[in-house]
Amino acid sequence: MAQHSSKGARFQAVTANRLSDGEVVYLTPDNQWAETFAAADITDGPEAGDALLARALPADFELHVLEPYLFEVLQDASHFKPASVREIIRAAGPTVRLDLGKQADAKRES
Amino acid sequence: MPNKYQLIREGALCQDEWIYSDEETALSEAPTIISLSRLKAEADVLRARNAKLGVQLLADGNGKTQLGEDVHELEPYLDMLSLVSIAFPTYRNGRGFSAARVLREQFNFDGEIRASGEVLHDQWAMMRRCGINAFELAPTVRLETFTEAMSELSDAYQPAADDQRGALWQRHK
Amino acid sequence: MYRYDEFDHQLVGERVKQFRGQVERRVSGELSEDAFKPLRLMNGVYLQLHAYMLRVAIPYGTLSSKQLRMQAHIARKYDRGYGHFTTRQNIQFNWPALNKIPDLLEELATVEMHAIQTSGNCIRNVTSDQYAAAIDGEVEDPRIISEIIRQWSTFHPEFTYLPRKFKIAVTGHDNDRAAIKLHDIGIVIKQNELGDVGYEIHVGGGQGRTPLIAKKMADFVPKAQLLAYLEAVMRVYNMLGRRDNSYKARIKIMVHETGEVEMRRLIEAEFAKIDASQMLAVPPAEIDRISAYFASPEFETLPASSDVLEAAKTRDADFARWVRANVVAHKQDGYAIVNISLKPIGGVPGDASDVQMEAVADLAERYSFDEIRVTHEQNLVLPHIRLHDLKTVYDALHAHDLATANLGLISDTIACPGLDYCNLANARSIPLAQEISERFADLDRQYDIGELKIKISGCINACGHHHVGHIGILGVDKKGTEFYQISLGGSADENASIGKITGRAFTEETIVDAIETVVTTYTDVREGGERFIDTYRRVGLDPFKERLYAE
Repeated sequence: MAQHSSKGARFQAVTANRLSDGEVVYLTPDNQWAETFAAADITDGPEAGDALLARALPADFELHVLEPYLFEVLQDASHFKPASVREIIRAAGPTVRLDLGKQADAKRES
Repeated sequence: MPNKYQLIREGALCQDEWIYSDEETALSEAPTIISLSRLKAEADVLRARNAKLGVQLLADGNGKTQLGEDVHELEPYLDMLSLVSIAFPTYRNGRGFSAARVLREQFNFDGEIRASGEVLHDQWAMMRRCGINAFELAPTVRLETFTEAMSELSDAYQPAADDQRGALWQRHK
Repeated sequence: MYRYDEFDHQLVGERVKQFRGQVERRVSGELSEDAFKPLRLMNGVYLQLHAYMLRVAIPYGTLSSKQLRMQAHIARKYDRGYGHFTTRQNIQFNWPALNKIPDLLEELATVEMHAIQTSGNCIRNVTSDQYAAAIDGEVEDPRIISEIIRQWSTFHPEFTYLPRKFKIAVTGHDNDRAAIKLHDIGIVIKQNELGDVGYEIHVGGGQGRTPLIAKKMADFVPKAQLLAYLEAVMRVYNMLGRRDNSYKARIKIMVHETGEVEMRRLIEAEFAKIDASQMLAVPPAEIDRISAYFASPEFETLPASSDVLEAAKTRDADFARWVRANVVAHKQDGYAIVNISLKPIGGVPGDASDVQMEAVADLAERYSFDEIRVTHEQNLVLPHIRLHDLKTVYDALHAHDLATANLGLISDTIACPGLDYCNLANARSIPLAQEISERFADLDRQYDIGELKIKISGCINACGHHHVGHIGILGVDKKGTEFYQISLGGSADENASIGKITGRAFTEETIVDAIETVVTTYTDVREGGERFIDTYRRVGLDPFKERLYAE
């Protein structure tokens, strides 16, 4: 599997896939799992990242999500975006089917 | 070594009279399972011992590439053995399935073959088809679960070490 | 086509029920993901980037129209309206919800299909020649023995936890369309001097991180002994194959490290023991029973050419081009084999919508004795079309964007799902296939370039067969950014070869230009009617490297 987060990463967030349908989800500041990257809790600094991941692993997490992990986030002007192509695609949907995935949901809602 | 498992033998929960021994401890009169290396090293002495003997066959640990112990090495000692315990270090390591079939089908071994180690729900029925007739299972496994698992698939496509003939043959009995 | 009997129905039904129980136990928390994962994988359920993915087996690539219609139904009801045909003659659905998969599998079972053993370290779907029973010069329909192997290998109690996955391919023809030398076991059906049918066995081919061509292990295994021979190969591998490193666990590594001679000795020693028991000799009556399902369709007696066809070709130049590119000679006079390209210019290789699948199913039912084939090059085939029906079939395909006339040409690319879908991928494959096909969209240019197989993988696992592409492209990840490495000279046919890497990788922005450079280098140096692969074999890598890396 591709590397999710580099050692020098400053900003990080936690993602996983939802057990029931595999949907990509992000850990929020109030310890919920949200479907959009915009709702993700983003931490500053490696220790804060470890603490964030620890929050994603309570005993009952397996009932809701699969394989939570940290990934690197970049700050671009005023907003955040995932650093790797992989996480950009997970946050949006397949680049070859813009009618599918979160990108399509976002379009429908707007 | 204390028994941290429950034993299901021939489909029934039972008291395990066997103990696993290490490489050095002198063997008692109790039915004892030893390693292949000890069996080979002490074969002459063990042959004279008047108690049941078993051996554990390891599925990994040999050499740089972690090969398993070769079931064919048991052949000269089969007359001394009442039991072979086949180790499954993880459920992914399925070497022991072949070892069991060789024991049953090529060596005609009719003692107990038991599965030890990480043995998953979905593997029990397959193990039985390969000739394994005893299972060391976690104490949390219920006997009913085990019994149900054994009958999830009512038939088989191919022959193995049990009495199912397999569809390709059965259709033309 | 093979039809399930009560026995098959019962076992597949029981398996669905078993999986339903497993899903329920997972959702209730009784099973952990660690314990559930091997169970779902054994039933073809993966977790990909955006959702679960279900891989359904299409044994030896043969489908009836009813079965294909069911795929369309599944795409619509459980997925997002499309399916993806893979290089292993399977179909994948990219968006099913876990708790609906048991229902999906139950519906699938009603058309005698399943997802059993489409993942996991077990014997996978047996693949074969898409032109089986339609092409001239075949020793025997390879699907007969493929079906026997399918049954023998299904729920095999000894070989379900192998060191690694295990793939078997069968061909009955000298022109290998099943890539048998790139499989764990490749079987070529042969006839000996006495007229008996038997099997030449190749062992240890494969792609992935270490691509290797299979070694011929046996020249002629008699029919009755094939399963005993296969069981011997499997047992030797299961007992002695490496499990310490998953990249070294395929049988190809074992053959390579053990050596061909010693490997043959081990297999033959085990084979002698198994064969002596006669346990695996399939009863002739059962072989006859299965063969009967693959009896030749009742072809009409027709002239070898068709005036209707010739007239249509004269009238419609696009149709004539399609016939030239996508239609292959049939063994029966008056019939043809039709290849349906799933590579429209700019499209996603191997994808078909529910509507497209239904259109193909209708055509198969009406014009092709109810049969469809799936190819490892991610296209579909209507195997038995009357010459005078070709235009009608073409028009119907054309109406559904299924008549691209590019079979075997540069835009007929194999591509794995890549980083758009796959959890293992390092880079995207599909957008590259799309850009290349757009760059070379002009069909006249494609015909001038001639046979050229581009194969693209988004990671070293090589699902896109890049090692055996005439031009292979491998996506790599460098710190979260995609790069693409080119290899040249690979081939998956009877003259199988592994491509050689040209040098440093290209960026997403420069890779398509680089492919164009390779192609123009070829057209500049080719002689006469030389195909790309022939030119490469004559001139080697250097002329291409010089042009690719000239600054």
